[in-house]
This record gives sequence, C-alpha cells and structure tokens, in this order.
Amino acid sequence: MSEPSIMMGGRSRERTPEPLTFLKCLSCGVENSRPFKENDYVLKIVEDEKCPKCGGTRSKIVNIYVPEKKESK
Amino acid sequence: MVVLFAALLNPSTGGDNILSLLLSLVWFAFLMIFFLYPSFGQRMQLSYMLRDLERKLNKLKIIKDEINQITVETIKRVGKPEKDPAPDINRLSEFFIIQPESMDPYGLVYKLEHILETGESVYEQEVAKLAPHATEHQVKSLTNLVEVLRGINTIYRVVRHYYLLGKKTANIYMVLQIQMVLPQIIEIAESYRQAAVAFSKGQPIGDGVGPLVAAKLVNGMEKERYEIAKDTVVQEIELENRKVYVVRAIGPGGTVGRPGEGVKQLVEKLPENPKLIITIDAALKLEGEETGKIAEGVGVAIGGPGVDKYKIEELAKSRGIPLYAFVIFQSITEAITPMRESIAKAADQVLEKVKQLILEKVKSGESVVVAGIGNTIGVGLG
Ligand SMILES: [Zn+2]
Repeated sequence: MSEPSIMMGGRSRERTPEPLTFLKCLSCGVENSRPFKENDYVLKIVEDEKCPKCGGTRSKIVNIYVPEKKESK
Repeated sequence: MVVLFAALLNPSTGGDNILSLLLSLVWFAFLMIFFLYPSFGQRMQLSYMLRDLERKLNKLKIIKDEINQITVETIKRVGKPEKDPAPDINRLSEFFIIQPESMDPYGLVYKLEHILETGESVYEQEVAKLAPHATEHQVKSLTNLVEVLRGINTIYRVVRHYYLLGKKTANIYMVLQIQMVLPQIIEIAESYRQAAVAFSKGQPIGDGVGPLVAAKLVNGMEKERYEIAKDTVVQEIELENRKVYVVRAIGPGGTVGRPGEGVKQLVEKLPENPKLIITIDAALKLEGEETGKIAEGVGVAIGGPGVDKYKIEELAKSRGIPLYAFVIFQSITEAITPMRESIAKAADQVLEKVKQLILEKVKSGESVVVAGIGNTIGVGLG
C-alpha cells in the first residue's frame, strides 16, 4: 500500500554544510580555523590575515573541510 | 433538521431500520463495484501512488529551479556577462553526449575518449563565452556547476517521463518502478543541490581527496612542474633520494584533468620505467560503512567512463609496471558535496601510507609515479 501523505511531506530540507578553512601561520606554525571564504583553496598563501598568536601576516591554507557535527556542537 | 437527523439515528424511534438499510445499500454498492470492476483496488492504489509521485516530482522541480538560480547568479557574479546568461544556460542544460556505437568494439575506448573530450571542450568554451570576466580556474568551476545543472535536469526529465507515462497508461507497474527508486533519486538530487553550492563557491568536495593527498605530498617540496596533458600537471619531488612524479589535475579550479593520458605521456618520456604507479581515488562506500575508511589494493583506482583507467592499465601491462591503489570510501552524496572532516583526516593517513609504500618498494635512486585522481576544486598546486 502507498504510504499516507502525512508521513511523506514533513521532512525538512537538509542544511547546506558550511566548511571551515584551516590556516597555518608561516612564522609560528600555529593552526587556526575560520569559516570558508570564496577564493580560499588548499595550499593557498594568505597574506592579509593576522595570526592571532604572533601577529604574523603570512599563512598557508592547510585544510578545508566540514567539521563533524559532534565536535561543532 | 437536527431533530430529524437525531431521530433517524436513534434506534428507539425506528431510525435503526433506516440506518441499517442505508448501510446495507452502501455495502451492496461496494460489493458490486468490486464484483463488476475487479481492478478498482488497484486503481485506488495507483491514484495514491501518482499523487505521491507528483509531490516528489514537485520537490525535484524545486531543487532543479534552485540549482538553476545558483548557476545563473554565479555566472552573473563571477563572469559579469553583458547580456542575461539564463537562456544560454538553459540551452547548455540540455546538452547531450551520444555514446559511441559498441557493436564493433574495436577502438571503442579511443572513440569514447574523443567524444568525451570534444564534449568537454565545447562545454568549457561555451561557459567561457557566457562568463567573459572569469579566470581560467573559475571557468572550470563554472563548467562543473553547469554540469550539475545538466545532471539534475536529466533526472527531473526522466522522472517526469515515467510519471506522465504512468498516468497516461494507468500502468501501475510503470509507476511502481519509478516509485521504488525515487527515494534514492531525491537523495541524489539533494546532494546535487549541495554540490551546486560547493561549485559556486569553489569549496573542495569529497571526490577531491585524491588531489588533496597529492597536494599534501608535494606541499613545499616541488622541484619542477609542467603540464603533461590538458588540465593535468606533473610535479616532481624527491622523497629520501627517490624521485616521485606526482600527477594530478590543475587546481584550484574544478576539473578532473586527464590522468590516464598524463601518466602515459609521463612514463613514455621517462628515461626508465618507474618502479610503481600508485593511484589514489575516492570510492563509493556501501551503506553502513564508515566514511573516510581507507583500503589499499592493486590495480588502477580511477572511476568515470574508463578511458583513463584503460590507458594506465595498457601502459603498465606493456611495460610490466606494478599498479598500487589507495581508495577512500565515501557515499555518492559525500563525494560531490563539501569535504567532510573524516575524509580530510583520511587524506593525512593515506599520505603516510603512500610515503611508507614508496620507501618500502622503491629503492634509493629509483622513481615512482603517484596519481591523485579526482576533482581539484578548491585544491591548489601550492
Ligand atoms: Zn603565528
């Protein structure tokens, strides 16, 4: 038998996953993450973002991924 | 009126008889319907199913329209075209590729390759025309985006075809077939929607894990770099006195390049055969399996239409080069949507395994080819 309509319509749309960009400071080696911005890509050298630890401006993007839900909440 | 109705329903005022008469009539009518019209139950079921199908078809249409909107907006934003790109995008979403005739299979792989390459370059040129201000990398990602649109468009048209055909012919088996696979189709459509978002922003996707491993292997150690086939580069590095040729598609634009042709050209150019050819690719996991699980084996790990796989196998066979493969498991959704943490973490593990394998099987002074297979969107060359 076909399922009743009430059960089919309710599921809400999945949310679009938001990736994080992981930057590694080229002066002190500390890794930081922030939300992904357009034109980010893995192995890109970012020149205009300050390292929160040492204040260095050059960093490299080492990873871009969507964190697992357990860890973000 | 109410009093009369109450009286009719009340057994003590004789309503019992009228009610039971009515009920018997109704039952009799039903009995006659089922007796004279045996497929009545099936008819009812069919109309239920068609309604269900209609609702899902509508959902598909919403997803399709949304992807269309994302595509048009992204092309407008990135490419800054002078005229409205919507009609041309619509035309491209109907673009087709006719598979070569396989009745005579001789040379089929090369025919297929030729057709696919033609299709690819025509598509890329068309998108480049639509987006005159986009960079070369952006054009590749936009081409991917239009391909996603074409994919969802095809899905929508096929489902609609079965829905309308089922409705027209009142054929429950036709409807049943499409209804059975529809939940998976909806899931794929939903992942197409997320893929469209990823391609419009240039985010790395799960399928990009192969190039990601290649990028991490090269990271800062590159000695030399050259383009070996269309959209495909070789990066030479040295690993404890072993020469490693890393083959991958050019990033960070979205492209899979031509790894088969790339490896072939490379090996034919080398002074002596490499000790190994290692391919790294994403593979489809089975339901219930862990995302990011790594498996290793022998052979060529390249998905898709098989042209690249064939070329490397041919080459390896004629030259007697052993083939090693690493695959990272993920679902179809995970492969085309932004990369999950477990897949990115698996890339680090594969990297270690690849290094270990090279140190184990390749002697000092010898060379090895490592090919990172997959879509390079969001994965730079370093
Ligand atoms: Zn720092």
